[in-house]
Amino acid sequence: MNLKYLLVLLIFVTLTASSYAEEKLEGIVTIFHAGSLTLPFAQMEKTFEENHPDVDVRREPAGSLKCARKITELGKPCDIMASSDFKVIDELLVPKYSDYSIRFASNQIVLCYTKTSLHASEITKDNWFNILLTEGVSWGFADPNVDPCGYRSLMTMQLAEIYYKKPGLYDKLYAICPKENIRPKSEDQVALLQTGNLDYAWEYLSVGKQHKLENLNLPQEINLGSLKYNDFYEKAKVNVAGDKPGKFIEMNGDSITYGVTLINDAPNKRAALAFMVCLLDPDGGLKILDDMGQPPIIPCQVKNSDIMKNIPEQIRKLVKPGE
Amino acid sequence: MTSKDPLFWTTIFCGILVLAIILFPLIQLLTASSLSKLMETIKDKTVIKSIWLSIYTAFLAASISFIIGTPFAYLLARKEFMGKHLIEAIIDLPVVIPHPVVGIAILGVVGRNHWFGSILLELGVRVMGSVTGIVTVLIFVGMPLYINSVKDGFESISPRLENVSRSLGASMMSTFFRVTFPLAFRSMVVGLLMCTARAVSEFGAVVIVAYHPMIAPVLIYERFEAYGLEYSQPVAIWLVFFCLTLFLILRIITLKKKKDI
Repeated sequence: MNLKYLLVLLIFVTLTASSYAEEKLEGIVTIFHAGSLTLPFAQMEKTFEENHPDVDVRREPAGSLKCARKITELGKPCDIMASSDFKVIDELLVPKYSDYSIRFASNQIVLCYTKTSLHASEITKDNWFNILLTEGVSWGFADPNVDPCGYRSLMTMQLAEIYYKKPGLYDKLYAICPKENIRPKSEDQVALLQTGNLDYAWEYLSVGKQHKLENLNLPQEINLGSLKYNDFYEKAKVNVAGDKPGKFIEMNGDSITYGVTLINDAPNKRAALAFMVCLLDPDGGLKILDDMGQPPIIPCQVKNSDIMKNIPEQIRKLVKPGE
Repeated sequence: MTSKDPLFWTTIFCGILVLAIILFPLIQLLTASSLSKLMETIKDKTVIKSIWLSIYTAFLAASISFIIGTPFAYLLARKEFMGKHLIEAIIDLPVVIPHPVVGIAILGVVGRNHWFGSILLELGVRVMGSVTGIVTVLIFVGMPLYINSVKDGFESISPRLENVSRSLGASMMSTFFRVTFPLAFRSMVVGLLMCTARAVSEFGAVVIVAYHPMIAPVLIYERFEAYGLEYSQPVAIWLVFFCLTLFLILRIITLKKKKDI
């Protein structure tokens, strides 16, 4: 009889210990993410590490294309990749390195400046292009070949030509902006604005808000921030780097949609999944994004219902298929 | 030291280890691209332009360091004064400061929000995104290496030789150019080489001050981000090739001078 009790107790202890081990997360979670997600992801890291003290979240912010190339070309170990354009994941990582992209946030293009920028007191959403064309005003945008914010800024300028009915506006703006004002990442322009090396810079609204810059909000028809204007956005076409130097591919305008994925051979899949759950939680990561000026997509979306079967069970309830 | 001495084998072992640390990744890099890709890359005008810009700005930075750094190094070598150690520590600062910080620090003083920057802009001097900016950064990071090398050179020359020259009626200036300068020439060449090498390899500070015009390390970064390893590696190989050739030639010249002396 005693032996029986002992056996039951042993089984109970083993089961409890193993279930505890299952819940306990530890190790390093590596995240490659778009530079524009730096501040909200830093906040999410802090919150996640408070709840899981044995997990060390290591983030590497970079241009979205660079994030992808670090996985595909350099073979750098990575658990989660978050891009400012879900298409970067769909085109560069799926299907070899990942099975899906989850669209979790949007953004919009704004013109950022500071109080000391030339003509800062006069600029409005109806005259910004005249100010950018004024002699002595220096402005810039991110490199369209390496940062989605770069080609999106060009798209906004193209759409402005149609929206404001100013034929030739895009060419004039493009011609007057010296190449020297271009930076590899849109966030690199923040320091240039703050030091007075640039008067205006094309940025994401979230970046402008997070760095407490002055933001000139543009009409929805041109700021790439609204799904309902997708048909209009498609009128913008920008050439960006193709598969080799000197070759270009045409990018069509589209509303800004951020994407995130779990890498197939993530070294710490269990902890990474837990981070994804926090990120996609409307009361967790998505709320942090919202608080920092970046509108979340609630619930998060995947391309279609076929993709749903690739989504890990733990996060399936937080996403829904798009149309 | 004979071949039976354990020290001999220790030195050989460490020597092999040092060469392996340097050559192992470099050989991997140099053999990663096909010959056709290398030829295609060297015909690319952007690549030639950026490698030339890298070498040209590095030499310009070294030349300016030579002009303003030599008299200062002489002062540090010959005079004892209050605060000398502090000044020597300040000179070493650019070596220890993280590279992006150097870029941010320079941008901070050349923008319109700083009085110095607004004077420069009034005078039409633009630092951000210009060759002036690149050279400024390269002087900042390379000059300490030049000054330290030349200072050591001056210190190794006995002041008695200068005193003899002075006692024979030569002025201080004439003594400097006819006695001290030729004797310290080798350390100047070594200093210039170190300064140039440091400048050619600089990336972190330059990319903040000037993404365009692109020096070779920035172009390698841009090619990697936009097109991947396949198109960034050949540029890196050509940069290593040109720099190796250049520095080998300069080393040979320097060695020859040493033998002549």
